Amino acid sequence: MVFSSNIFLVFFLPGALALYYLTPRRHRNTALLLESLVFYGWGEPIYLLLMLFTIALNYVFGLRIAQRRAEGQSAKPALAWAVVLNLGLLAWFKYAGFLARTLRLLPGLGALPVPAIALPIGISFYIFQSLSYTIDVYRGDTQAQKNILRFGTYVSMFPQLIAGPIVRYRDIAEQLEGRRESSGQFASGVTLFILGLSKKLLIANPIGALWEAMRGQPGCLSAWAGMFAYTLQLYFDFSGYSDMAIGLGRMFGFEFLPNFNYPYIARSVTEFWRRWHISLSTWFREYLYIPLGGNRRGLPRQLLNLLIVWMLTGLWHGASWNFVLWGAYYALLLMGEKLLGGRITERLWRPLRHLGLLLIVSFGWMLFYFESMPELLAFLGRLFRPDTTPLHTRYQLLAYLPLLFFAALAATPLLRRWAQRVLSRPAGGALRVLVPALLLLLCLAALASQSYNPFIYFRF
Amino acid sequence: MDMRQTDKWICRLFCVFLAAMPLLFWLLPKTDYAAREKRYLAAAPALNTENLFSGRFAEEAEAYAADHLPGRDFLVGLNAVFELASGRQGTHTVWLGRNGRLLEAPVIWDEEKLARDMAAIRSFAERAGQPVDLMLVPSAGSVLPEDLPALAEPYRDAEILDAVRADAGDGLRFVPLLPLFQAAENREALYYRTDHHWTAEGAYCAAARYLDTVGREGPPRGQYRIITEEGFRGSTWSRAALWFLPAEPIELWDSGREFRVEIREQEGEHAGLFYREHLAEDDKYPVYLDGNHSLVRVRSTDPAAQGKILVIRDSFANCFGCFLADAYEEVVLVDLRYYRSPVSELLDEGFDQILILYSIGNFMSDANIVRLE
Repeated sequence: MVFSSNIFLVFFLPGALALYYLTPRRHRNTALLLESLVFYGWGEPIYLLLMLFTIALNYVFGLRIAQRRAEGQSAKPALAWAVVLNLGLLAWFKYAGFLARTLRLLPGLGALPVPAIALPIGISFYIFQSLSYTIDVYRGDTQAQKNILRFGTYVSMFPQLIAGPIVRYRDIAEQLEGRRESSGQFASGVTLFILGLSKKLLIANPIGALWEAMRGQPGCLSAWAGMFAYTLQLYFDFSGYSDMAIGLGRMFGFEFLPNFNYPYIARSVTEFWRRWHISLSTWFREYLYIPLGGNRRGLPRQLLNLLIVWMLTGLWHGASWNFVLWGAYYALLLMGEKLLGGRITERLWRPLRHLGLLLIVSFGWMLFYFESMPELLAFLGRLFRPDTTPLHTRYQLLAYLPLLFFAALAATPLLRRWAQRVLSRPAGGALRVLVPALLLLLCLAALASQSYNPFIYFRF
Repeated sequence: MDMRQTDKWICRLFCVFLAAMPLLFWLLPKTDYAAREKRYLAAAPALNTENLFSGRFAEEAEAYAADHLPGRDFLVGLNAVFELASGRQGTHTVWLGRNGRLLEAPVIWDEEKLARDMAAIRSFAERAGQPVDLMLVPSAGSVLPEDLPALAEPYRDAEILDAVRADAGDGLRFVPLLPLFQAAENREALYYRTDHHWTAEGAYCAAARYLDTVGREGPPRGQYRIITEEGFRGSTWSRAALWFLPAEPIELWDSGREFRVEIREQEGEHAGLFYREHLAEDDKYPVYLDGNHSLVRVRSTDPAAQGKILVIRDSFANCFGCFLADAYEEVVLVDLRYYRSPVSELLDEGFDQILILYSIGNFMSDANIVRLE
């Protein structure tokens, strides 16, 4: 199920909130677990088994590791098994087809069968969440959870289940045990959820239609417009989803860490990745980059670590070589920034640095989008050739310009600052109620009208 | 309001919303057919093990919920108004112009497709062994540029029609309509405001021009008794979803003659050109010859009537055909979108005239014209 659907808004969310708040406090985790399982099983009931297996697996290993630690014995073998099994699940369900297709390119393996496995929704997210738990128990950063229902609630929690943020167990361990929902938290959750829904339905989807309209047309202008449209679509789609997740979490009394912080206003690649999909970068830093030695084993080793981490980050986004390429692209850029230490870029005029970063990121999204190399090269070629955009396409673009400008503005903190100033005035109180109400109405209107509603982040 | 109060209001309103939506969904009566959208709505999903495990139940439930959302018409209209207000009208295929007129966006000119279709038409004309006439109805936007919204993509009808004429060859006679329509004093009356078709007035002007070209004569304008029906809301009205736009009248021009209409998909014959049961609907255009059918024969009961014409056509000929009927003994209308047999088989019947009549929009987009080959 996705948040921006009629079923979710009209049936699931009212039912889930009603059941949750009618349940006595000590059983609310169980209510949330049941709701999450319905949410997850809605489209693909068969993968509920996978979800239950993942919960059981990590629950058992968490206890085992804690027990070994308590006995003063090495928990390393148990941890190794947990990591191998978790990554094995991910490898089989997400990467088996990719691996087989790649191996078929080798001589003598051309007849290798390619398994046809439908990607279980959200598997990349909940496997990573589960791993964070098991590793943290091993490191002693958190206690093992003895109550399997409570642990299941953490792994399957529907607000962040299918597209993040990746919530580390230790960040919400206390909230799982005892949390106090409040009307203030609920209201801020509602507002954030509606803002996220608006980002998705009122900005990301129509801007995605612009990208669709520009992509297949000839011409330089349409290529540049399409590339920026896709850049904006990804941000509003994904950060909208994170806002919805965090907002829904608050409605159920949870507080997740923020996942986006205006990434497109960054002035360097390093800064961009501190602002984009923060929970994922954090995960890779905590559980891969630092264990590999991070920056403590000399420069060559650090560069190698960067390359490993970023190629895997790329692969995490999708089972295809273009994602690896995209990861390697960022590895090189980050290495460049490390080696030059910002010596060149810091001298540049600030607006130029913003523009440069935007170009780098937008170009990166093209590597991210095109799975086929010839298509990618054909598209990139368009960016640098004389313009042949057809008249019809130019007029399409013209009609999207107001939205494009608004989206660009909304991708910076300027709009939020302005809104905060208006809302802090005496008359702002009513606006704090009316604006979300109007946005929700417009979202419903968009939902009732549009058949164009693909969720880009489904592939992860 | 202070922070605590606004928080309480947000919670209250959201809870009311959450409670009201499912409640209204269950309580409001469900319809199978959306008159405004002119389509059948999704049926309730069947709950069984197979549907549940294949994910079909989830898909169908979403479609069902979307189609029967409480206040759906209002919401769809609100979305249309929002997109209009945010300048996104140009991304749609129907535009709101000045004077409350809805206009179809310009056609996409696919030169390859046009060349293929023209070759098919030329070879058809060759096989027919007699002159074939080609008449294309210009878009409303090219006839009424003063009604276009600001910053609208220009219409290239004149260029397209020139290209068609240049590519017509010897066996085809191109009958121009654009100059006639552009010079007409009552230009604004040639097309509907809420529908993409021409009005009876527009069809009459075109029919008069055509009959003049082939040396025939229909009844003069004054001989028609004009019956006006109110409340017509056509296809562009449905597509634009701008519900606040008012309905308009539709006219039936009755020459007083009698006809028998034979429609291939229907048994028996129908007396008269007008199918008045359609006047009860929002979209009243099918009142002319019952709307779209593969093969329609209109026979005059007047013993003095002479001549036979074959019209290969789109829906613009539903109304236009009514005026031709006044000038022929028999009018045969063929719609290639539904007529699957070779048209050449019909040629054995012997026709005085063969006319290909399409609106420029359908002519440039219909994939069936090439079947004339």
